[in-house]
Amino acid sequence: MTRSLDTLRIGARAEIESISTDCDRANRMATLGFIPGRAIRVTRFAPLGDPISVEVDGQEISLRRAEARIIHVKNVIE
Amino acid sequence: MNASTEAVAKTSAARPLVALVGNPNTGKSTLFNRLTGLRQHIANYPGITVEKKAGLLRFGGIDMDVLDLPGCYSLTAVSNDERVVMDVLGGRRGLQKPDLLVFVLDATNLKRNLLLVSQCAELGIPALIALNQCDAAKRNGIRIDAGLLAGRLGVPVVETVATRGRGLEELKKAIVSALDSPSKLEGIHWPDCVTRGCGMLRAGLKNVADGDLTQAEALRVLFDSDSVFACGVGDKMCLKKLVDSAHREIRESGLNPGSAEAVIHYRHLDSLLDGVVEASGPIARSHDSIDALLLNRVWGTLIFLGVMYVVFQSLYSWAGPLMDVIDTGTSLAQDFARPLLSDTPALQSLLCDGIIAGVGGVLIFLPQILILFFFIALLEDTGYMARAAFLVDKLFSWCGLNGRSFVPLLSSYACAIPGVMATRTLSDPKARLTTILMAPFMSCSARLPVYILLIGTFIEPLHGPLVAGAVLFAMHFVGLALALPLAWVLNRFFLKIKTQPFILEMPDYRVPTLRNIFHRMWERGREFVLRAGTVILAFSILIWSLLYFPRDPEVGEKAARAFLAEAGASHTPAEIEAALGNPDSGLSQALSHRIDSSYIEQSYLGRFGKAVQPVFDPAGFDWKITVGVLSSFPAREVIIATMGIIYNLGADVDEGSDDLRSVLQNEKWTSGPRAGEPVFTLPVVLGIMVFFALCMQCGATVAIIARELNWRWAAFSFFGMTALAWLSAVLIFQIGRLL
Repeated sequence: MTRSLDTLRIGARAEIESISTDCDRANRMATLGFIPGRAIRVTRFAPLGDPISVEVDGQEISLRRAEARIIHVKNVIE
Repeated sequence: MNASTEAVAKTSAARPLVALVGNPNTGKSTLFNRLTGLRQHIANYPGITVEKKAGLLRFGGIDMDVLDLPGCYSLTAVSNDERVVMDVLGGRRGLQKPDLLVFVLDATNLKRNLLLVSQCAELGIPALIALNQCDAAKRNGIRIDAGLLAGRLGVPVVETVATRGRGLEELKKAIVSALDSPSKLEGIHWPDCVTRGCGMLRAGLKNVADGDLTQAEALRVLFDSDSVFACGVGDKMCLKKLVDSAHREIRESGLNPGSAEAVIHYRHLDSLLDGVVEASGPIARSHDSIDALLLNRVWGTLIFLGVMYVVFQSLYSWAGPLMDVIDTGTSLAQDFARPLLSDTPALQSLLCDGIIAGVGGVLIFLPQILILFFFIALLEDTGYMARAAFLVDKLFSWCGLNGRSFVPLLSSYACAIPGVMATRTLSDPKARLTTILMAPFMSCSARLPVYILLIGTFIEPLHGPLVAGAVLFAMHFVGLALALPLAWVLNRFFLKIKTQPFILEMPDYRVPTLRNIFHRMWERGREFVLRAGTVILAFSILIWSLLYFPRDPEVGEKAARAFLAEAGASHTPAEIEAALGNPDSGLSQALSHRIDSSYIEQSYLGRFGKAVQPVFDPAGFDWKITVGVLSSFPAREVIIATMGIIYNLGADVDEGSDDLRSVLQNEKWTSGPRAGEPVFTLPVVLGIMVFFALCMQCGATVAIIARELNWRWAAFSFFGMTALAWLSAVLIFQIGRLL
């Protein structure tokens, strides 16, 4: 079952399935390492709940929920 | 400018050009500083406010120009920073094409850093790799086979640790030998769909950009068709049609055109790095345990507040003594120069009140700028700045700002000048623009004397210290409360710049080096004095002349005669003569204050103030307040001294002066419909304070905004804030009158 990245809880692991839009946001995300097939882990939320911080390909990256929404993940382990 | 920087300024065609390219946070600028020392020249790229950092490297008898290109993750050109990279590498828009690219890579995150290298391979410029932060990679358990990497990439790889200066000699040697016998990067094999797409674009866009598109440029147009770079290529409609059909090709072969480029490059890099990078077990990042504390909901927030408190205190209080030294120095210089030119009063005033005061007015900002950039360099170099932005982003995201706006806005509470300069840390051009426009709304320390004078004179005696304190506190939030909704409106309806996703890399924590921090302070301080400082000085001389001229001697004589006639009523002629013989007596002081006041009233600015008083009449301002407000446009802190002159008390009064307070309390309208009524009623007092809170009465801020953005935005900010301030003062007075 696919879900968007922003629905995951802290500590959840998953695999990136796709990036939904083909706008330049997708380009930017892909450049930073959000590539289909890669493993991803939600490491923490900011004190106010947004942005969130994730680990992908050995690097830690923070992104807003609005951006996390365009990333679809599968095989979620919470 | 010394001889060496001058030499750098003239880019000689004979000298080879070496460009440093790399992601943000790779230590690229540190390496640049190490290579060029202080032989640097900072200018702007033609037409846009992106900093061009060039320097001179001398090694093995060869002089080379080194260019520090803005840090970027890929060639995708969303911002002007990134466009510059594309323009330089393509040798477009009259820029010299580099002879050698030195890629500065972060060894702890090699794959992502190599993406940019892989993209640049297409450009066919000779290259070499500086594998930086090797020590950190080793600590994290990452082993990199540099020889194998060099073999696979086709260019030399040098291991460096820029912060410690390690590998520097080897790098210089490699640069020289690469210029001598260049090697190029192996390009990647594009899938057929991409090659076909590029072919379509190149055929369709012949002769529209200056010169035909190269293969590398066609790839840029194909993969970021909304970019600043692609927008400069050909007709919009035609471009869109071409790109759409090229995208169709890519989609048909099962790839998402948005992410295809990165996906293809990463696929290539996965096989290229096979056997090159070896991580012993799971990568142990040093920052996990620190982050558990610093990003903790409770502790992280408390530590953040503590850190920001220290930054703010240092700007607000600790800069004080240094600023006092500059102030004292300025008055000493004035006292020294004044007697030298006592024969030519106009020249004397120009030198003392115009030039020396103006130079002092520029230097006075230096302590705060240096202290702020000390902290910014410290916070960035340690890696905390990204965490701070993560913690508070939500507070700002709703109105188009982001977490990185916090430090500039906080600093603006001390002074908007360093605050505006600090927005350099925002990479998103839209958020940066908005932050700059909002910075002057923060209640800077120069507004405080006005609040203290008016609250102490009119509110405390009537309503007690509790209300007075509350009003003072509230005045500090008037600007902020208006600025954030304004930012929202501006972003929602007016700014046509594309919003960038706010994605932050959380860099490893590092120990900062003093060398780097001082370099940043030196760079910013020098830039402020040389570039903004000259404009601010010109402003102060202009305003001085408007307040000084035409200075008809008749005006002074008339004021003196009137004064003596009044004095004659209560003193005998002998008393007057004796008092005037002594320049320190009360009577001669009062006389000179009266003369000063008459000159200011008759000055161009004074006349202008009287002429525009009707504009401020709906706010309940009389001509004296109007002149005071107008003359404080170059710098709001002069208002107290100007009021001292206007109310015949001399320029030496301060906000605590009892004389000034009692004069204000007793000031009455002398003519018009309100004749005999007190001028300073509660609505007028509140109106003046809110006017000062919202108005851009700071020539230095206008100059720095023009410097950081352009004159159009500076004018927008100036007129917009002035209109807003006027409107608010009028509303307060009119509503207050009805109540």
